[in-house]
Amino acid sequence: MTHDRLLNLSERWFRLLLRLYPADFRDDMGLPVVEAYRDRAREAINRRGMLGVAGVWVHALVDALRNGPGERVHPAVSWRRTGNWGRDAELAFRRLVRAPAMAAAIVATLTIGLGMFAVVYTVVQKILIEPMPYKDPDDLYFVWRDYRAYLDLSRGWLGGPDIAELQKAGGVIEDASGLVRQFRTFSMREGEEATEIAVMITSPNLFDLLGVEPVLGRGFGRNEAGPGRPAVIVLTHDFWRRLGADPAILGTPVRLNGRPFTVIGVLPPRFAFMRNASLGPPERADAYLTFDTNVTEGRQPEGGYAGVIRARRGTSPQVVAAAVDAVGKTIDARDFNGRGLKLYAVGLKPDLIAPIRPALVVVGFAGVFLLLALMVNLASVLLARAAQREHEFAVSRALGANSTAVVRATLLEGALLGLVGGAAGALVATWATRTLVTLAPLDLPRREAVVLDLRIAAVIVGVGLLLGLLAAIMPATWAARTSLASLLAHSAVRGGGGHGRLRRGIVIGQVALSLVLLTTGGLVVRSFERLLRADPGFRLDGVLTMRIPTPTVFVPEIADALALHDRIERALAAIPGVTGVSATSSLPLTARAGQNTITIPGAPGLTGDKDRDSPLVDVISIRANYVEVMGMRLLAGRTFETARREDVREALIDRHLARQFFPTGDPVGSKIPFGRDQAGRDRFLTVVGVVEQARQYDVHQDGRPQVYVRAEDFGVRILAWVLRTDRDPQSLMPEVRTAVRQTDPRLAVSEVRTTGEIVANAVRQQRVSAVLIASFALGALLLAAMGLFGVISGSVTRRAPEFAVRLALGADHARVLRMVLGDGARLVAIGLLLGVPGIYFAGRIIQGVLVGVSPLDPLTLSTVAAGLALVAMVACYLPARRVLVLEPAQSLRQ
Amino acid sequence: MDRDRQLDSRVPLRRVEFHILLSLAGGDRHGYGIIQDIQARGETSVPDVGTMYRALARMVDAGLIEAVERRTAPDAADERRNYYRITKPGLRVAKEEARQLGALMRAARIGGLLPKGAK
Repeated sequence: MTHDRLLNLSERWFRLLLRLYPADFRDDMGLPVVEAYRDRAREAINRRGMLGVAGVWVHALVDALRNGPGERVHPAVSWRRTGNWGRDAELAFRRLVRAPAMAAAIVATLTIGLGMFAVVYTVVQKILIEPMPYKDPDDLYFVWRDYRAYLDLSRGWLGGPDIAELQKAGGVIEDASGLVRQFRTFSMREGEEATEIAVMITSPNLFDLLGVEPVLGRGFGRNEAGPGRPAVIVLTHDFWRRLGADPAILGTPVRLNGRPFTVIGVLPPRFAFMRNASLGPPERADAYLTFDTNVTEGRQPEGGYAGVIRARRGTSPQVVAAAVDAVGKTIDARDFNGRGLKLYAVGLKPDLIAPIRPALVVVGFAGVFLLLALMVNLASVLLARAAQREHEFAVSRALGANSTAVVRATLLEGALLGLVGGAAGALVATWATRTLVTLAPLDLPRREAVVLDLRIAAVIVGVGLLLGLLAAIMPATWAARTSLASLLAHSAVRGGGGHGRLRRGIVIGQVALSLVLLTTGGLVVRSFERLLRADPGFRLDGVLTMRIPTPTVFVPEIADALALHDRIERALAAIPGVTGVSATSSLPLTARAGQNTITIPGAPGLTGDKDRDSPLVDVISIRANYVEVMGMRLLAGRTFETARREDVREALIDRHLARQFFPTGDPVGSKIPFGRDQAGRDRFLTVVGVVEQARQYDVHQDGRPQVYVRAEDFGVRILAWVLRTDRDPQSLMPEVRTAVRQTDPRLAVSEVRTTGEIVANAVRQQRVSAVLIASFALGALLLAAMGLFGVISGSVTRRAPEFAVRLALGADHARVLRMVLGDGARLVAIGLLLGVPGIYFAGRIIQGVLVGVSPLDPLTLSTVAAGLALVAMVACYLPARRVLVLEPAQSLRQ
Repeated sequence: MDRDRQLDSRVPLRRVEFHILLSLAGGDRHGYGIIQDIQARGETSVPDVGTMYRALARMVDAGLIEAVERRTAPDAADERRNYYRITKPGLRVAKEEARQLGALMRAARIGGLLPKGAK
């Protein structure tokens, strides 16, 4: 073999070995390396012939095996061709750092957007999705009575016998517990300052049934209930903390309504049990007691208890429903003469979140739409950035760089932005969630659980990353296809590569998305506005309300209690600036009225249908002047005057009852059978007037018909006092407390609120959703406007030469401006059209939360569309203005 | 300032890097030439070709040396070769390395690891 052939063969071997190195290194150093080995081989041949060459070959193999992979792991050469992920990420980072304002703007947008999404996600996750903090929470159910066969009441309290039957039922119903929520005047020791607290009075098995262990002390023993039960109390963690969080409280007595109760346990902090009221919102309690009566004995069918059952583990809801229904049938047949009373079970969580669920679903969807808008915006920004590097990409591709490198660069940029935005968003959202919870309604179920934890933060960072990657896919595939040829072809006249069309598509999408979000936002805001403007039937200013309970322990005789009420009234009326004082058993919007069926015998409106003629009404006890102090509207007759006749029980009925029973005539003077006297004869209420409702349930619509009676006539220990004042109601508070303490130091004053606050609290949830959705919508609008601005601005820059030609050929500036604006208008119009199906879709979801506004309300829809179009056209006009100052000669020269 | 600190942080150099700077301090060389220099210095472990060129690539990246476009009087075989030249920062780093090595040597001598007076 000749030396030359041997050398050539060696060179082939060295080139083969070179494949072990990464391509970048080969590009740079391949030739010199081969050359160096050739030199070596030549020397070896000269010195030792074939054997020497073989030695060099082996040496080169060992070298390449070591350094080739080594170079791949620790590259010495900068990224040039295929690059490497770590290096690429560093480059992507550097590119972003080099344009700090741009990067900051993108990250800020993502932070705000993802932060908002994180808040919504936290709320939805914690309230709607996460299981309740009990043992096997899916096996827990509330049981309610359904009276709808003959009364307008679908969620009624259970009676004692119902609970007894549920406990006895066996089968899939493992255990049942009844509970009642009441208020107690609480003090640590006798004579110390009293406060009013809510207590849940339950069967002793409640904690076992829920699967909850107290963190301190113990729960109730199975026999610690019924007449003569030990007076023991279990505190919630929250209440215990308010009392000073002293573990030594265990075993010490506290006072409830003046009686000593021994603290035996403190519940865990996570335990925040709530139960729905039959007619009102969910309620919680500060402490737990057991029944001091035999609830489950006796035959009183009246309802009064919430019922909780635990089903056998893993029983399907249908089976539980069937078992509860069977119990209901027994009770209906035995205690209700088979009139059609039903019992039904609702899962603990579904029952609690039912009222807030529609709003949460809407807010959740809005959050997802916002996320989409963010993603589209980021895609457009990344595309613009990729377009700036159009030449770089095209040239490097022409020089043989493979497209994956380009794709990777864009993907990495998107991922990096998404990651940073997600992390920052999660951070912002931890704070924002806390703020939101303080704004949320107090009776929001699972309020305490709404905290952004690590898992949610991780999800948000992941969402950010995914969003960044998804947003980068479009520009990345575009960039990968950019070739020098197409670049040259495009830049000929129109300028700009193929990304123009893509960006226009993105802008259309943005307009469509913002249309959907804006209509949703517009509708929710209008609905909220309707709520705020609704007339709930009472004055919103100048009225202060408070609870002042007069428990039987302090004043056992009802006559004394009524005298105490008079004293309280006089004390309150004596406060300077107070112009009127009255009291009621149930303040408006608190749903604390009692229910009764009534009828008006001989009224012209009777139909003969017994069920229809005896509607279920709210019976509200009031003192004289209530209508005046609250500013309710009197429609006919008169109100309750201070002077009272012992022999006549006066009543006021509302407009609905007046219309039902007296469609034409005058109800004043008519009699309503109501209760019996000691001899068992019917007693009657005499209607003295007709009023508009002071609404009990919803701000925007009347609820159940109302009958107002005089508290004194029925010996009602009235609770809530109302003061009319010409001063700032809040400023009365210290004087109110002093006046009450001077009347009787044992009395507690609680829930001091103005009527305005009562209404504000009732619409809190709607306020929060309206603010959230409106800000989402405005955010989306802003993003769309930014997108349009970018597209039009880019197109003006690229088409400047074309415009110059047109101007030179005689077109005037206005015409060119119209052309540019027409271009933008087309994009907006297409976007609006595409958004229309989205409006329908969104309308179906939000229907349930709208009040007095149709989801396709033409006024809202047209206003939103017009507003969006206007903002969009402004976003087009600002960059388009530049064509007005275009100098044809100068542009053409360039 | 920053750049200086960056360069100083490269000291101590890897052995092969110091050899490269040492060779280039005497004039422009190509990779194989540097390997031959190292052999001539009596180094027991002479770096592989791959190791050498990876080091060169790294040092170009770091700005210690730079590639020279073409030799002034190219012979036919040289055409495919890359020549390298030491840069000012490279020289500074090499000097710093030499100074530290010198200090080490004196210490070794005082410590009795090297015969006193040996060169």
